[in-house]
Amino acid sequence: MANVSEDFELHAFVDGELDSERRRAVEDRLVQHPDKASLVEGWRRQNAALRAAFTHVAQEPLPATMRLGGGSAAGRSGPAAQGHGLIETGVIHWGRPSGATRTMRRVDSLRRNRQRNILSWIMTGLVGVFIAGAALVVFAGSATQPQRPEMIVPAAGFVTRADLTYLTFARDARPVEIASDRLGELAEWLRARTGLARVPDLAPSGLRLIGGRLAPGAASAAGFLLYETTSGGRVGLYFEPIGMAGSPSTPPRATVGLTAIEWRAAGLDFVLIGPLPSEEMQAAAERAAAEILSQRPVANGAGRP
Amino acid sequence: MTQRKDFRGALEALAPGVRRYARALSAGEPPSVADELVLEALQPLREVASNDFPGGESELRLRLYATFTQVAERKLRESASTGPSLRHPVIVHGLADLAFEDREALLLVVLEGFSYDHAAEILGVERDILVGRLVRARTRLSAFDNQPSAPSDGTRRALHLRVVK
Repeated sequence: MANVSEDFELHAFVDGELDSERRRAVEDRLVQHPDKASLVEGWRRQNAALRAAFTHVAQEPLPATMRLGGGSAAGRSGPAAQGHGLIETGVIHWGRPSGATRTMRRVDSLRRNRQRNILSWIMTGLVGVFIAGAALVVFAGSATQPQRPEMIVPAAGFVTRADLTYLTFARDARPVEIASDRLGELAEWLRARTGLARVPDLAPSGLRLIGGRLAPGAASAAGFLLYETTSGGRVGLYFEPIGMAGSPSTPPRATVGLTAIEWRAAGLDFVLIGPLPSEEMQAAAERAAAEILSQRPVANGAGRP
Repeated sequence: MTQRKDFRGALEALAPGVRRYARALSAGEPPSVADELVLEALQPLREVASNDFPGGESELRLRLYATFTQVAERKLRESASTGPSLRHPVIVHGLADLAFEDREALLLVVLEGFSYDHAAEILGVERDILVGRLVRARTRLSAFDNQPSAPSDGTRRALHLRVVK
């Protein structure tokens, strides 16, 4: 028998109306109850379909009759204007982050930002699909294999490679090859070897760039950028050129205690991986995705010859 | 007068969002229907000064949507419409199938990104009422999607975000 107040809470969860504590409680409940999780997933898909159907209206030029002749901010372009087709899919795998008590950013404050509307719905629209994935991560080693939703799969082992790369370098004394003080050089190197369009600036999400390096990918070089929070948490952005689709024999998983968010855009598969709470990780991932697609001129950075 | 100029800029920047909301709310009507409603909502706000909105742009946004709500409820709710044509995606048919006030609630929260409290304020109802309408809208949309009488199997897929192969 459906518990009515519980179901109201599920709606509030989907709409970002819960504080972080209740949000975690619902996340835990969804892992335990796949039927509720698929309900939530259905609503998220509904939300995505609604936005997909009408977002274009806000991007059309205003009819002359609606122009007011004032100093217009209508010239705001940005990632939303690039077209949502550039992001093909997104995934969140989460291990339960270990008891972080940092201040949470509300995901909905990002969702309401006009410039990130499209990207937000694409990211959040697919979160629900991976509630089942979360179960696989949290109960690693479980004998039964829960029903896995159909998903686009980057080259087999993609998330595993990202995970390993993160674990290998994030806590090392020399975590990066080129530091952020040579940003132009770093950007050019990564662009030449992997096709990365720009190094995302995640400072507004509280993440300072430490630097980056190459890493072994599947069939060609992968890239790895490392960021740091003010309290020392390290978040990695791993990316590979899109490889051949294949089904891994085991489902992708992040180390328990890490959250991994993957998406595909502009010819690359990306994973943002780190120990921050899932809202912060999601916000940073949305920002990174927006940055990749932005058409702002690339900053040359200090130290460019 | 820089103040008035900035205010008009803010209003103009909000107009695309209201157009989007209006289009969705009219659920399959020709775009001109929605645009006329938006114009009517913008009209009374063109002449007010920016110091009428101490709460800044967010207060202006609430007022604009509230004004639009009044116009829409007057003109759109009762209009005899033929409903969306087959070329519209399934979600639009689903929207047209909803009660007008449930549609308002759903679109304000999902499409325009308002919080429950703000959406309730725009519609002039209590928060609980707003949530009830939103829940009804979602439930009915989910049921609509499962009906075998959807236009055709091809268009049904538009309702779901497809994971691209």
